[in-house]
Amino acid sequence: MENRSSPTWLVADFFTHSYRISGRLNVRHRLLADQLNNPTSDFLQIEDTYISNVEHPADIMASQTSAILYKKNVTTVVTAQQQDGLPREHSYGNYFGAYTRKVFMTVPSFEIEGYLRLSGKLDLRTVLTSGTDDFITILDGSMRFSIRPDISFSGGAILINKRYIGAFCMEEE
Amino acid sequence: MAKILVIDDDAEFLEMLRVLLEKRAGHQAMLSADGQEGLEKAIESPPDLAILDVMMPGVTGYEICRALRANPATEEIPIIILTARGQPVDRQAALDAGADDFMSKPVTMDELMEKINKLLARQQIAKLVPFTGTVTLLSLRGGVGVTTLAVNLATTLAQAKGGHACLIDHSVSSGQVALQLGLRPKPNLNDLIQAGTIDAEKVQSTLIQHDSGLHILASSIVPLAGQEIPPDLTRNLLAILDQQFVVTIIDAPSTLNRATMVALEATDLIGLVIAPEAGSIQTAIGTLGALKPWSKKVRVILNQTMPGASPPTEAIERAIKRRLMTAIPYDPAQSKAISQRAPLSTTKPDSPLAQAVRELAQTLE
Repeated sequence: MENRSSPTWLVADFFTHSYRISGRLNVRHRLLADQLNNPTSDFLQIEDTYISNVEHPADIMASQTSAILYKKNVTTVVTAQQQDGLPREHSYGNYFGAYTRKVFMTVPSFEIEGYLRLSGKLDLRTVLTSGTDDFITILDGSMRFSIRPDISFSGGAILINKRYIGAFCMEEE
Repeated sequence: MAKILVIDDDAEFLEMLRVLLEKRAGHQAMLSADGQEGLEKAIESPPDLAILDVMMPGVTGYEICRALRANPATEEIPIIILTARGQPVDRQAALDAGADDFMSKPVTMDELMEKINKLLARQQIAKLVPFTGTVTLLSLRGGVGVTTLAVNLATTLAQAKGGHACLIDHSVSSGQVALQLGLRPKPNLNDLIQAGTIDAEKVQSTLIQHDSGLHILASSIVPLAGQEIPPDLTRNLLAILDQQFVVTIIDAPSTLNRATMVALEATDLIGLVIAPEAGSIQTAIGTLGALKPWSKKVRVILNQTMPGASPPTEAIERAIKRRLMTAIPYDPAQSKAISQRAPLSTTKPDSPLAQAVRELAQTLE
């Protein structure tokens, strides 16, 4: 069994429709997905925050030591490491019976490609409607800015707010 | 020992780097947790290398990088940008700001030390290699390692000149340069031949780039029967590359065809490569006769391509009636380097061949 301790701080890129917000989130040795899907809090507090307009994603337009994000307005979160974005049911070696499918989806401003890890029967609708989680995790994902395809972001995991998904396509086996 | 400046607002990371740089690598660390203060330190006492975090309160790493490049005292310092923002757009922004390299956090200390050592070595070579111009490497006897020398010399010069170096595989049907560098030779010289007329834009779009920064005009792997390089194309090509690069290396074919003659005319130095065996020495004697019009710019390079004993240097010099510019020793790692498509000058800078090529680069004039 993998012996991996979860980090306290996790660096990630948080995206809203128009902004890229980079910063450190105190995950308190838990999972980023748990924080995003925690129904008891609508907010995320991030530290060492750097904000860019998505059209100029490398230009830092503002930086603050601390910021609060309203989770309902976060469309996606990109983490460099896959394990940092895995949901609980797929973390720490709980891969028994799991398989992956290539997916493509759209959210406002972005097109996203990557791999969805599933277990059980394959059903597109169930993926989006079952459970109470607001965010689903795409592995080895990349997202392109719709109006400027030359601007793209990639990471080991991309967590996507289900409420913003427009089209959701899954490749057949 | 090098003086290395690190600017990062993460106190733990600074302390970790201090230990790494001073205790493990024996360098002198200049640390600053504040961007503006770090910049002032750099200008007051220029370091040999700078490591900059991007995301810092007040002033970003990009701004510091631009300020260092704009100041004559610090414009040549190798700079590594280190950031938690690790997207391709961030890499491009770092390079646009003037950084030499980019790493996204978290980084392992081994990876960071590897980058630091690579950039310091490059800086060292840059100081020692004053040569600018065009060098043609040639042998009318095949199998003496002309392409291997050209590839290693060109990558060494590319590292010394910050990537402002170009290597031409001046042949219509070898593709050997690209193969040795593990690159796909597409586009290639044949595209320029087919185009007929060329301009700077067309040439630029035909070059491929190696990780060392070297630009390559590859030749096709597929032979074009009956095809030759038009001499005018070589003439125009060299004029264009002279404007775009500090150094151009030509890997010439084993024939003195018209295009090769044009290249020899235009080049600043001709490196005649010989091996320590009778056939090669005999060919070199004849070649030196053919190269008489350019005698002043001819240098003879002895390349020991095989292990074992070889004739004494003095005997070879007596036979060719010339002094050798340098002797490249036999390097057992070379055959593996070819199969791995990774030149020793970039992968094993301490190997005998890489060291000899570095010395050769330093003596070019």
